[in-house]
Amino acid sequence: MLIPFSMKNCFQLLYNRQVPAAGFKKTVKNGFIIHSISNDVYQNLAVEDWIHDHMNLEDKPILFFWRNSPSVVIGRHQNPWQECNLNLMREEGIKLARRRSGGGAVYHDMGNINLTFFTTKKKYDRMENLKLIVRALNAIHPQLDVQATKRFDLLLDGQFKISGTASKIGRTTAYHHCTLLCSTDGTFLSSLLKSPYQGIRSNATASIPSLVKNLLEKDPTLTCEVLMNAVATEYAAYHQTDNHIHLINPTDETLFPGINSKAEELQTWEWIYGKTPKFSINTSFNVLYEQSHLNIKVFIDIKNGKIEICNIEAPDHWLPLEILDKLNSSLVGSKFCPTETTMLTNILLRTCPQDHKLHSKWNILCEKIKGIM
Amino acid sequence: MRAVLCSLCAVLAPAAPCLLRAWQLGAGVIRTLCMGLALLSVCKFTEKHECVTTENGVGTVGISNFAQEALGDVVYCSLLEVGTKLNKQDEFGALESVKAASELYSPLSGEVSEINEALAENPGLVSKFCYEDGWLIKMTLSNPSALDEIRS
Repeated sequence: MLIPFSMKNCFQLLYNRQVPAAGFKKTVKNGFIIHSISNDVYQNLAVEDWIHDHMNLEDKPILFFWRNSPSVVIGRHQNPWQECNLNLMREEGIKLARRRSGGGAVYHDMGNINLTFFTTKKKYDRMENLKLIVRALNAIHPQLDVQATKRFDLLLDGQFKISGTASKIGRTTAYHHCTLLCSTDGTFLSSLLKSPYQGIRSNATASIPSLVKNLLEKDPTLTCEVLMNAVATEYAAYHQTDNHIHLINPTDETLFPGINSKAEELQTWEWIYGKTPKFSINTSFNVLYEQSHLNIKVFIDIKNGKIEICNIEAPDHWLPLEILDKLNSSLVGSKFCPTETTMLTNILLRTCPQDHKLHSKWNILCEKIKGIM
Repeated sequence: MRAVLCSLCAVLAPAAPCLLRAWQLGAGVIRTLCMGLALLSVCKFTEKHECVTTENGVGTVGISNFAQEALGDVVYCSLLEVGTKLNKQDEFGALESVKAASELYSPLSGEVSEINEALAENPGLVSKFCYEDGWLIKMTLSNPSALDEIRS
C-alpha cells in the first residue's frame, strides 16, 4: 500500500520514538527509509559520509532519498576540467561537488532522485538494489522496459540511460548510490557535462557519455514523489519493514553529531579541485591583435590542483620575454583557478612598465589563460 | 612437481595467490617460486584484505588475491604521499573498479617511505603478485614486532 509521506506523520513518528540526543543511530531499527529535507548537494553527501562512518548497519540497512538543486557531481578520482564546462557552471551558479564514491560525472536537479542503499560490506550487492528499483517501476508501470546493465546502469527501452551507479566500500560498511531521471533538464545536462577544455592529458577516471531520457517523458504519471513512494514500498516489502519515509534534516547536529564539519570539508577547494589526479595541459590559442593572429602555446602541469610547471609561450615581438618569464614563474605553485590567477596577474601588472599597449596585451593574454581554468 | 608445489601452497597460505601462474613464465620460474614461497612464510593477511610483508623494519603492503578478485579490474589507484604517518587501520588510499571506490587501510603503524608510481599509469598491476609488481606502499614501521598481532 502506498503511504504518501506527510510531514505530520513523519514528525509524529520521530516524536513518538523520542529521538534522543545520541540521535539518529538509536532510531534506526531493522531497515529504515529516510528522505533529506535539504536540497544542498554538500549537506546531502555529508549524510552519506556520516552514516558510513558512524553506523553499524548489521541488520539495519538504510535507504536514503535525496534531491539537489542544480549541481554537477563528479566521482572520487575524476578531473572536473575533463568532465564538465566549469565556465558555464560559474556563469549559471551551478555547484560542483566531488563525491567519495567512484564512477562518472552526473548532473543533478530537482527532477533527479538520488537513492543510497547503505548496508554492511558483506551485504553489499548493487545488482540486487537495481533489481529492486526495476520491480518498483514495474509495479506502477508494468509495461515499462527497464533493464540493468553489467555496468550497473538502468536502461529504458534498451537505449536510454535513466540511472547511473557509483559506490563506496569502507571497513565494515558500504553504500551504493544511483540517480533516477524523472524530469531533469536534459538540454542543460548535456551542455554542462561537455568539457570545452582542450589538450588535457590525465589518468583520471573518465565518464562514458550516454543518451539519457526522463521517465516522465515515457509516462506523465511518473513524478518524483510517485517514484520515491514506489521504491520505498518495494524496499519495505523486501526488508519486511514499514514503508514510512522519515524526513531528516542534514544540518541537525543533535541527530548527526559532527555532520556540519563533514559538509564543510566537501565544499573546500582542497577537496573539490585539489583531489584531482595529476594532469597536464598542452594547448594553444589564437589572439587577435591589430588585425593579425598570434599563436600562444600553453604547457601546464597540475598536481593537487596547483600549477607545478608553467610554460606559456608567446611571440617575443608581441610581449617581452622577461614579462612572460615573470608570468610563468609567478603562476608556479598557485591554484589552477581563475580567481587566484586574476589576483596574481593584477599584482604582477603593477610591476610592469606603465605602457597602455603592454597592459592591453597583458589583459588579453590573461583573459585567455583564465579561460582554460 | 606441480602436485608437490600445489600442496606446499595449500599448507603455507591457503588464501594466497596461486604461484603456479609463475610456472608458465619459463626461465627464472624456479627462482620466482622459491622467492614466492619464502615471502608467503612471512606474509600476513589482515582481515581487511590488505596484506603485508616485512624485512628490516620496512613493510610492503599489497592487496590479497581474495580482495583483488572481489574488486575485479582496477581502473584507478590513489595513494597518500611519501612521508605520511599512518596508524594501524588509517586509510592510506583507495582503489577504484567499475565505479566502486574501495578504501585501503594500513595494516600497521609507520611512515610511508615509498609508493608504487607504476600504478598511476597502470592500475591493473595490483592484480599481479602483491609483493612484486602489485605492491601499493612501503612503510618504515614504528613497531616491527607488531606484525605478529596480525592474523596469519
